Formats: sequence, structure tokens, C-alpha cells
Amino acid sequence: MNYNWDWRVFFKPTGIGNEIYLDWFVTGLGWTIALALSAWVIALLLGSLLGVMRTLPGRYAARIAGAYVELFRNVPLLVQLFVWYFIVPDWLPEPLEDWFKQDLHPAISAFISVTICLGLFTAARVCEQVRTGIQALPRGQAMAAYALGLSLPQVYRQVLLPQAFRIIIPPLTSEFLNVFKNSSVASLIGLMELLAQTKQTAEFTANLFEAFTLATLIYFTLNMGLMLFMRWVEKRVRVPGLIALGGK
Amino acid sequence: MIAIENVSKWYGDFQVLTDCTTAVQKGEVVVVCGPSGSGKSTLIKCVNGLEPFQSGKILIDGTSVGDAKTDLPKLRSRVGMVFQHFELFPHLSIINNLTLAQVQVLGRSVEGARQKGLALLERVGLSAHATKFPGQLSGGQQQRVAIARALAMDPIAMLFDEPTSALDPEMINEVLDVMVELAHEGMTMMVVTHEMGFARKVADRVIFMDRGAIVEDAKKDDFFGSPRSERAQAFLSKILSH
Repeated sequence: MNYNWDWRVFFKPTGIGNEIYLDWFVTGLGWTIALALSAWVIALLLGSLLGVMRTLPGRYAARIAGAYVELFRNVPLLVQLFVWYFIVPDWLPEPLEDWFKQDLHPAISAFISVTICLGLFTAARVCEQVRTGIQALPRGQAMAAYALGLSLPQVYRQVLLPQAFRIIIPPLTSEFLNVFKNSSVASLIGLMELLAQTKQTAEFTANLFEAFTLATLIYFTLNMGLMLFMRWVEKRVRVPGLIALGGK
Repeated sequence: MIAIENVSKWYGDFQVLTDCTTAVQKGEVVVVCGPSGSGKSTLIKCVNGLEPFQSGKILIDGTSVGDAKTDLPKLRSRVGMVFQHFELFPHLSIINNLTLAQVQVLGRSVEGARQKGLALLERVGLSAHATKFPGQLSGGQQQRVAIARALAMDPIAMLFDEPTSALDPEMINEVLDVMVELAHEGMTMMVVTHEMGFARKVADRVIFMDRGAIVEDAKKDDFFGSPRSERAQAFLSKILSH
């Protein structure tokens, strides 16, 4: 390949303010992390709630959660994002619509749309994992808990969920990483997160290969770090003498 | 103490319990036996409402289990239950297994529950294991913890659902010893088991079930002396032949 790699490009001034190109990547990484973490909070809370609903004895709760999962899992993420960003604001009551479209900084309104979109999309996936975790437990566990007089919320809170979450840490880890990777869709509605900054650097400098190499390294390091963190969590909550739960 | 009146239960079209009627008096030990699939476990799970039943009535100390108005958690907290597969909570230490329901359901103080739990562990000979987790104990030890966990709630009666059938033979006796001791102390007990030695030693009455129905309900001596039904005779000759 006849290409002159020039890694010094990241330290060249962008011509905007005093910024060098590396600053753009730092800003972009900041947006990516903020997006992914806020979406993950929504996904984890809502997903857990839906996952529990899917295992409840009554039919209605399970059906509602089931319908939610099918809806959010079967529509492409990008389509969902466009719905949240372009269509949903039009449905808001007028003062709210004006506020969202005009008063808010465009970056903030894009951020809100992506966070909601990614959070709700990932919640459907978390829901299924929580459900599987609960259903993987022996039926006798819930029975024993009920037999001691625990109420339904107590049975979930004290007995089923602590075990289910330990079982699903590995698949939850991949979902956690997916949120970071999926957050790159935000670049399509103009939010300057990591991928958007990379594209912009490539366009400004014509050093496309360097820009995307750096982006790849940043995504990889970030996700590797998260994975190691989750492994550490998994080890910390491991129960002595228990082989069936929480891996090794 | 426990009154079971004309209880029937169906899974879809399949009838698992047919018109079961019996009673367990205060301080009485009743053993329920019968071939597998005869409905013994289902019946005992109906007693504290773990399994619903479609017709009939079960009263515990005067409270109807099947009544929609009954506070089931409260009722269950007064009836101890021990399961075939122990069902200790694997994520909690042994002592926390014993205190969980005392604190959450009975509202006892953590320290009070702990003292009670430790005393019961002492009683089943496992105080050295209080801080271990269930996965670190043998089956027999786990089942003794399960009995202690049920006793921690100060139950008015104890239900045992095949408490020894998942155990290795050498561990069966350590569990049966605890149960015999309980029986001698006057605990009201309903025990689903195939341990006829246990039945002979402490049972007041033996109930024999087959195909979802109570075929025989007799005083222990009558049951082992001359069971009236052919099926009970056939069952006994099979399990007592060795």
C-alpha cells in the first residue's frame, strides 16, 4: 500500500480555537461515554423491571413486557433513532415541542433522543436476559421462599434476583459493551461523539487511515477495560462453593 | 391442626388429587407414603397453598388455605416446610438463610434472629458452619440447615416433602435423627417419605396414597400389621422386601 502514515496529525491545530485534532477525539469520547452510561442506566432499570414482569404469575404483566420486547427487538436501531429524533418530538405538546426543537442546544436534544432510543432498545435485550436468569433457577427456590412466608416482592428481591443477576453477568457484560458500540449511531443525527469526530477529522485532514485507526484503538481499549471491570464484579459477587451460578 | 376435606385438583383434564380427606391433630405425626406419581407431594404442597386446588377445603388452625381472603404469607410463616432438594438459598450464608425470613417476615431484630439461628444450628449440630455457604455443605448437612431454617419461624406444624430421598444413604440417618427428636418433642408433623423405619418409630398414623386418592388412613400398628387395601399390601411388600 502506497500511503504515507502521519501520526503527528493528531497534534496539529484544527484551526478552530486553540484545539488540536486530538482534542476532538477526547470530546467525542466524552460524549460516547456519557451517552452509553445514561442509556445503560435506563436499560438496566427498565430491562430488570420488564424481565421480572415476564416471569410474574399473572398473565397481563407478562404479555405487556412480551409485546415490548418484540416491538423494540424487531425494529432496526437506526429506524428507532430516526423515530425518536424526527417523529416523536412532533407529537409533543406544543410548548414542549418548541422547547425541544428551538430552545435546547442541538447537541443536547440529539443527546436526549439517542439516550432514550438506546436505553429503550437495550432494555428489551436486558429484559430477556433477566427473564432467562430467573427461569434458570430451580422452581423450588421460589417455593421455599414462599413457604417461609415471604411476599412476592420479597421473594424476588431477596431470593430470585440476587441469584439471577449473578447468572447473567456474562451476557449482561456483552450488552453493556453493545451500548458503547451502538452509541455510534448518534453520529447520524449530528451528535459529535467519537465516531462523528473521527469522520470529521478524516474530512478535515485527509488522514482517514490514522483517524479510523485511533478510533478503533479507543473503542477497543474502552471495551476491554469495561470487560475487565465486569470480570472483577463477577469475581467479587461470586458465592463460595457454588459452581452453577456465576461461572467458574 | 390441619384438616383436609374433600380436596381435588386437576392439571388441565388430568386429575392429580381425588377427594382427599384426612386430618392431623396437634402433636400428631402423620406419614404419607405411596408409589411415585400418587399425589403425595402435591397434597402436602396444597396444605400451605404452594399448589392451588380446585375443590375441597384445607384448614390450618382454623384458617382456610384456599380462601382468597386468607393472608397466605402470614399463614405460611406459621407452617414450616422442608423440601426434597433442601432449597437453601445458595447466595446467602447458612446463618443468613436462617435469619432472612425471621427479619423480613416476622420483623424480628437482626441480632435476635441471629441468636435464634445460632441456637438452632447448635441443635442440629452445625454451629461450626454458620458462616459457610450452602454449596460448601454436604446434602445431609444442608437438609439439617433447612429444618433449622423452618424451625426458626417457630412453626405450629412442620411439613416434610420427601426430606431424605435426594440424600446419599449414609446421610439419611443424620436427618432422620433430627426429625425423630422433633417428633418426640411433640411437634405436629406431616411427612411424605418412603422411610418406613421412621414411620414405625415415630408415626401415629400412616396414610397410603395411590393415583391421587387416599387409599388407606390407619393407625401405625394397623397399617403395618394388616393393611386393608391390596395396593398398600403390594406397596409394602415391595419396599420392605430387602
